[in-house]
Parts: sequence; structure tokens; C-alpha cells
Amino acid sequence: MGGHPGGPGIVAVRGAHATMSGEVDVCVVGSGPAGLAAAAAARRAGAGRVVVVDRETSPGGILPQCIHDGFGLEEFGEAFTGPEYAERAAGDAACVGVEFWQGTTALALGPGPELVLVGGSGRQVLRPRTVVVATGCRERTRGNILLPGTRPAGVFTAGTAQRLINVMGVLPGRRAVVMGSGDVGLIVARRLHLEGCEVEGVYEILTRPGGLVRNVVQCLHDHGIPLHLGHTVVEVHGDRRLEGVTVAAVDADGRVRQGTRRRVPCDTLITSLGLIPELEILRGLTDGTVDESMRTGLERVFLCGNAAFVHDTVDCVTACGRLAGRAAARHAAGLRWPRRVARVEAGEGVRQVVPGALSELAEAARFHLRLDVEGFDVEVQARARDRPLARWRLRAVSPTQAVALTAGPARLERLRQDRTLAFVARPGKEEAGGRIHRR
Amino acid sequence: MIIGAGVVGCAIARELSRYQAKVCVLERESDLGCGQTGANNGVVHPGIDPPPGTLKARLNVAGNAAFPRLCRELGVPFRRTGLLAVVTDPEEAMLLPLSKLRAEANGVKAEVVEGEDLRRLEPALGPGAYGALWAPDAGITCPFRLTQALARTAARNGVVFELETEVAGMLVGRGRVRGVRTTRGDYLARWVVNCAGVDADLVAGMAGPPEFTIHPRKGEIVVFDRGGPAVGRVLGVLSLKGDPHSKGGGINPAVDGNLLVGPGAREVADRRDTAVSADGIRKVLDKFTRLVPALARATPIAAFAGLRAATYREDFIVRPSAHMDNLLHVAGIQSPGLAASPAIAAMALGQLADMGFSAPSRPDAVVAPPPRLFRELDPAEQTQAAAADPGHRRVVCRCETVTESDVVAALRDPVPATTLEAVKRRTRAGMGRCQGAFCGPRVATLIARERGIPLWEVTRAGPGSWLYAGPTRR
Amino acid sequence: MAESIAVECVLCPGGCRVRVLADRTEGARCRRGEAHARQEATDPRRTVTTTVAVEGSALPVVPVRTSAPVPRDLQAACVREISRLRLRAPLYRGQVVLVDLLGLGVDVVVTRSLPAGRETLLPMSNPASR
Repeated sequence: MGGHPGGPGIVAVRGAHATMSGEVDVCVVGSGPAGLAAAAAARRAGAGRVVVVDRETSPGGILPQCIHDGFGLEEFGEAFTGPEYAERAAGDAACVGVEFWQGTTALALGPGPELVLVGGSGRQVLRPRTVVVATGCRERTRGNILLPGTRPAGVFTAGTAQRLINVMGVLPGRRAVVMGSGDVGLIVARRLHLEGCEVEGVYEILTRPGGLVRNVVQCLHDHGIPLHLGHTVVEVHGDRRLEGVTVAAVDADGRVRQGTRRRVPCDTLITSLGLIPELEILRGLTDGTVDESMRTGLERVFLCGNAAFVHDTVDCVTACGRLAGRAAARHAAGLRWPRRVARVEAGEGVRQVVPGALSELAEAARFHLRLDVEGFDVEVQARARDRPLARWRLRAVSPTQAVALTAGPARLERLRQDRTLAFVARPGKEEAGGRIHRR
Repeated sequence: MIIGAGVVGCAIARELSRYQAKVCVLERESDLGCGQTGANNGVVHPGIDPPPGTLKARLNVAGNAAFPRLCRELGVPFRRTGLLAVVTDPEEAMLLPLSKLRAEANGVKAEVVEGEDLRRLEPALGPGAYGALWAPDAGITCPFRLTQALARTAARNGVVFELETEVAGMLVGRGRVRGVRTTRGDYLARWVVNCAGVDADLVAGMAGPPEFTIHPRKGEIVVFDRGGPAVGRVLGVLSLKGDPHSKGGGINPAVDGNLLVGPGAREVADRRDTAVSADGIRKVLDKFTRLVPALARATPIAAFAGLRAATYREDFIVRPSAHMDNLLHVAGIQSPGLAASPAIAAMALGQLADMGFSAPSRPDAVVAPPPRLFRELDPAEQTQAAAADPGHRRVVCRCETVTESDVVAALRDPVPATTLEAVKRRTRAGMGRCQGAFCGPRVATLIARERGIPLWEVTRAGPGSWLYAGPTRR
Repeated sequence: MAESIAVECVLCPGGCRVRVLADRTEGARCRRGEAHARQEATDPRRTVTTTVAVEGSALPVVPVRTSAPVPRDLQAACVREISRLRLRAPLYRGQVVLVDLLGLGVDVVVTRSLPAGRETLLPMSNPASR
């Protein structure tokens, strides 16, 4: 990190005040890593006035509450903590002249594009040349899965618990059960444990952990926290404060196995049930499908970061933001909005693929996929209806980790031969642990 | 003295506040409307269901008629959506004319609609919908906002609300109730109105031999996110196979744009049992997804259960105690109690007058609608509000667009919200798709600030429901 | 040292189960995995991150980290020791707030800059709004 302590970060950001009006080339909604990268990239690509609006009082999105390390290995070549990464990225954006309108909430987006903002000096309608939506994702809640039982205090999503402990200095409870083994859940289990809240166990409905092996080892094994695979929480108990949960073993279809119900006394339930892209601002305008440069179906509006695809690492989020920012700068400078020439779909063995479209301007593309297969030596194909257009070989894959596939000009030329293409993945050789997961 | 601050207790308090009388409302919970009112789907029923000649039928119809004016006066959202009671089995089509007759006997406008007409009224209905009884007078409101507006108006006119005050006994003598013993001391009273909902029979029992019994009947409601199937009407099911004790719920849009599905109905023993059961959820979803198939792809954001206060006779009880001359029971108010509430309050006042209550009217009585929420303002008003008040520039709950000033106003209300749930009921902060994951700690911080307490003393819904164990660093 | 130690490799999605013996490793599919497994088996280390109480700022705690990884089994002891610190804003990212934690030769470093005063929690709005 070297040099002056504090780096270029916060001082520069706080100096970047300006009037919340006037001509804006690129307006980025959200100052998480995607938004910061998009804004900085837009400025570097020649955009005049670039503004980041964010509802929080300081930039970084969710990063300031992720105090663990391991961020930025690809971007910066060292393992930062979340707050460090946020300050580096915000400082970088401020240095190239990005304006920050913190404490500002984007209430609505409309065609034009047009943004309704509230914050700073009041409520106003902004008409920037381009808008980059970088609103991140939110957590699936117990309500989304209709978890039965009472509704006492003491049920938190992992992200909320993380914010409470790491930013607000508040301990959510004294004895916790963690439902779901996504990365945030694992990381929060460790924080709870280290802060003196007993973690009775982590319960994962699937037969494999939802988070990275690294987090299973370092967050659970290191601290003796039990992981119960093939188990889940089936009921919440307690009238005022949580008094316990019922856990049970489940079969492959998620049905409770007879005679395995067990009541676990606890005052806290942490849910780590997955992340959902936050696309509320696009509702009624367009869906979350983007093309190779993160253009949405709404003219001059881009979508990037976890709002477009729930990435595994902040480095991927940053790269995704940069892509959107560069394109936004070009369109702010007058580049014509392109037609979409191909649709990209998820086929056999592939759960999700982004981008979901290719534009007529596409010269290269980076595809992000979630697969349903695991093992070594896996082949992924992009297929037209009847024939493969391109192939990639992957050394090791798992459904819990996204893969990124690059298509350079030559490959992309082939991909554009058909109006619809589907990505399919075949499990690797069985002796190498290859298998396909059915949902 | 009114026992119970649900929508009925608050409606009666509001009516009484028009007179120069000392009125006090006792409530066990830390907020208004925590019982049946809080687990209500907000439907203002038209009155097609109650058997003709019952008190329920009469009060439902009269109450429904009073709603538009009441809501306008109190600044509470109300929309006449109309209701379709749908038949899905052609063999049960004879229910339609029968129901129409019953509706007409109750004095309710209703007509039978089928085919194209039915689809035109509600395009969201699936192919299984055969025909329906159309009752245009049905509407939807927000039960929380209504209860709050009634209580606020009452409080501004001098009514005292004692929250977290549980009735433990009656002080009786010579055929009269002299006062009420509570967990926070004794209150003397010349008239007592029992609006204790599911516990109304227990409260009645404190004053003498049993007069009626209440059987809690539980039902689950599932809340769906905005942006799901566009259902514009209140939808119910007409069937011979249904539970005869309940209208059996339905699908209805809420005034804030969510879709509510349920409730089902089953008798339970425990008067506190508001746990949501997997079976209950499955049943309501199975039943109503048949009506609107698009529900299968919609996103649920919450499920809750409530208890309805059913009596054996299944009718409302609004009558003086058989044992005490100055005790009025307002009991057995289950669905359509919300719709009936204005008429119940008017009837209760008549009964009190018969029991000897009289007081000069209050010439300076005011109407005190709750302050309008930022979300409810039109763009120009929002601009004005945000310019004038920095608190309206800070959005605390993003899902429901609730500002800091909205929350602070609820915390400074004449009947103040003091808990996370109370703020949620009044502002909707935490009722959206993230269910408070984002705004919970922020609202808790505002509560702590306004009340001058540490963050870890803030509760979800009153004593015992602590939110946080304490600071990580002392 | 036991005859062999089992290590689950965390370097890639493969999650190899490696057995580390005195003179060799078994089960790793790559060189990096072998080296990682040997390190885990002989001297596992982690960077510790936690928070410290801070006064004079909008936030009650500030995040910190160790300047280098510490022995795995001392994580809890490190957190306990670090939690005894009391700091005062302003604080700067990279600022060392404890030297030679538990004699391990690593320092404790602030990971988030926190200005003094409460203003960081107010919107950093534009001058026109002041």
C-alpha cells in the first residue's frame, strides 16, 4: 500500500463537490466497485462530466462492511480488505475527476434517459447523456422462501449481520444458527464466533457447500464450526425474541427426512440464501438482459456489476463496471445506439449466461456463466441450433464458481453466424469427478 | 375505558372523542393494531357473505358505505376495486344465483358475470374461472393507516392511549365495573368497552360468569412483491367444498401495490399461536394459484398468520354485559370486521347511550390525519418537501421509499411508534422486498436517537423482543 | 509430526484433497496446490481482520487487519488482544495502531480512513445545498 497513509482516497472524494445539476455525460447509479470502476473508466475514455450517485454517505457500496481480506488479487495484485479496496477504487475515480453525489438516492429511471434523484439539495430530475446502473444485489430473505414459524426478533440476513458487527459495532445475538452456506454466511459465521457469539452450526440444504472451499476451510474448519450438509432449517420458534429453530435432514428434492427433526436452541438465525440482482430501478422499462458492452434494452442505459450478474469476486465486478463505463463514454460522445443481432441463452448444463445478447457493434465479448456441472476438464460450447460455433476447455469447474470465457474477434465472428446461440456444458470424465447437478 | 387498540377499539375511541368525556384506551402490545387488525388483508368487504338478518350483515353493509368518506376525512388510502367471488367448477354454478339472492337480501349490489364479461373485469383470471358474482362495492384500504389515523384523531381530541398495559382483572361491585386492574396499576372507569379481540371472552370472564367464548381461527397470508400478476379486483372463491366457517380468503391487491393471497382458516387452541405453518401456506397457495395461474411465477416476500376471533354463533356481539350494567362487549369481530368497523363504532356509541353514557359534544374536535408519507406525494410536492426538509432527502427504506422524516414523524406521533414493527406498520419501512434487511438497522438507529436510548435497547415489538445483544466493543 | 496430514486445497474450484507426508504430497493436481498444502500442513497462517473501538467519529468501530498473516491457531487470541485497543479519530488507512502484536512480529493496521467528527454520516452533498 506504501506511500502516504490514507492514499488518495477519502480526501479527494470529499473535495469533489459540485452542483447537482447541469449537463452530465455519464451518471452512474451506485458507488460500489462496479459503479466506481465504470465512472473512472468513463472519464479515462474521454467522458466529460461523470457523476456517481449513491445513497450512502461514503462510497464503496457493500465493501466497507466486508472487512475480511482477499479482495483485489487480480486488480491490484495484493489481498485487500473490503474497506481498503473501496478507498482505493474511490480514490482512483476521484483522481480522474469523477464527481461524487453521496447521500443521494435514485428514485426512478425513465427513458431519455432521465433520473429522479433525491438528496443533496433536494429532489430533482437529471437528464444525463447516459446512465450506468450499478445497484449491486440484495439478499434472498426468509420471506422469499416462505420459511415457516413465528416472526420474532433475531432473524437476520448474513449481510445485515455483517453490517451490524463490522460497521455499527453491534452484536446481533449470543447463540446463532446459520442457514445456508453462501460465502457471506460463512464469513459472518466466523465474525460471530470471533466476537463471542456461539455459532451452533451452518446448515446447507444441498449436499455441497454454497461458498468457496477457501471459506469453508478458513471460516468454519479453522474455528471448529460444524457444517451440516443436506440439512436445513424448517421452522422458526419464539414469540418475541428467537428461542430456537427446528433443523432437519432433507433428501435431494428438499423434502424433510422422517425422524430427523431436531430443535436447536438459539437466539439468532442468520440466513445466507443467495443473492438477487437489484434491478428495481429498471422495473417496467426493460429486463436485466445486457449485450457484450453491458447495454440494456433501454437506450443509453447500461447495467453492470452484480446487478447484471452475481460475480464471485470484486475483481470481476470491477472489470464488468469498466466495460460499461468505457461504452457509456463512447455513447455519451455520440456513438449511435446499436441493434441487437443475436440472443445468447443458457442450454444444457448451464444455469446462466451473461451477456444475454450481442449487438451489431460486438467485436469481442467476455461471457460469464454459472454451470450445473462440476469436475475437471469440462468442455463448454456455444451452439447454433444444430452445430457448435465455438468451444472452450476448462480445467476445473464447480457450480459454486462462475466461469468467464473470452471470445476474441475470430471466435465472435463465428458466434454471430446465428441469431440465437446457446451455451452448453458437458461434465468432464467421471474418474476426474465430473458430474452434472440437477436442480 | 376501552380495552384493546385494534381498529374497532380505535374507531370507538375516535367516536367518543367527539364528546367531552375522559377516554382511555388500554392496549397490551406496544403498538396499535397488533392483533387481528395487523394480520388483515385490507379488504373492505361488500357484504355478500354474511347470512341475511345477522348483525354482521347489517354492520358490514353500513360500514362499507361509510368507508369512502371516512378514509377521505382521515387521509387513509381507499380504493373501490370491486370483488369477484369466483366459481371454478361448472357443477357449482348454481351457487352464483344463490349468492346473488343473499347479496340482494343484504342490500348489496351484485350481479353474475361469466365468459368475456368476467375476463374483462379481471384479465388475470385463469382458464379455470367459470363464472363469478361481481360485487362492485368491495374495496381495499390499509388497516394500519386507518387504525393509526383513528387513534391519532382520538388522541388529538384528548383520548389517552396506554400501550404495553395488559388488563389483569376487573374491579367490580354492586353490578357495576368500578375499574380495571392492569399490569401497570388500576384504572377507575364509569363505562368499560371490551374490544379485546381474540381475548374478549377472557376479559368478559373477569367481570362475571362466561357470556360467550372465542375460538381462535388461524389463517396464513402470503405477500407477493410488486410487479407480479396484475390483479385489479378482490378475488374470492365460491365453493360448496370450502370451510363453512369462513369466506376462505382469496387474492387481493393491497393499496401499496403488493398482492396478498389468503388467508385459509383452521381452528387452533392457542390464542397466541401466530406461527406460519408450511401446510397452511401450501394450502392457500394451492387453492388460489388455480384462480390466477401467474401466481406460480410471482415472488413471495413474506408470510404471516393471524387469528380471527370467532364465536360459536359466528355473529358479531355488540351488547351490554349480562352481569354488569356499565360494561359493553364488542366481541366476535372477525371478518368482515374491518369493513364493519365504522358501523360497529356507531352502534357501540348508541349502546353506551342506552347504558346511560352522556356527555356534551366537543366543539373543538379536530380530525388529525397522519402526515402524508413522502411516497404518497406527487412529484411537485416531493420536490417541495425535499427542498424544505433535509430529512426528506434521506431515504431510509429504499424498497418502499420511506424517508428519515417519515420515520421521525411516526416516532413523534401523538400515539408514538416506539418499536421497529410500529414504525413498519406506520411507514411501511421494512415491508418491502428486502424485509428490512437494509432499513432495519437504520430505523433502529433513528428510534435510538429519538428516544435517547442505546441502539441495543431498541426492540422489534416491545419488551422481550430485543434486536441486538449489545455493542461489540465497550 | 503425524505420518500424514490431510489438507483440502482452496486455490481453485477443484478442491483437491491432498495428503501431506514428510517427504512428498499426494492428491494435488498442480504445483501450487502442493506448495499450498505443505504450507497448510506445516505452518498454516491467516491474516486476521477485526474492528477496534473508536471515539470522535461517526462510526463506533474502525476495521483493522494484521500487516502479515499470523499462525492459524492464534487468530482468536489476536482478535482478543486487538479488541482491547481504543482509538481516536481521525484515522487513516494504513496507519499502524499496534506494533508487534503478541510478539508475533506483525503490526495492526487501520483499513478504513475515518475523519474526526460526525460529518461523514451526513451526505457529502454539494455546496449549493449548504
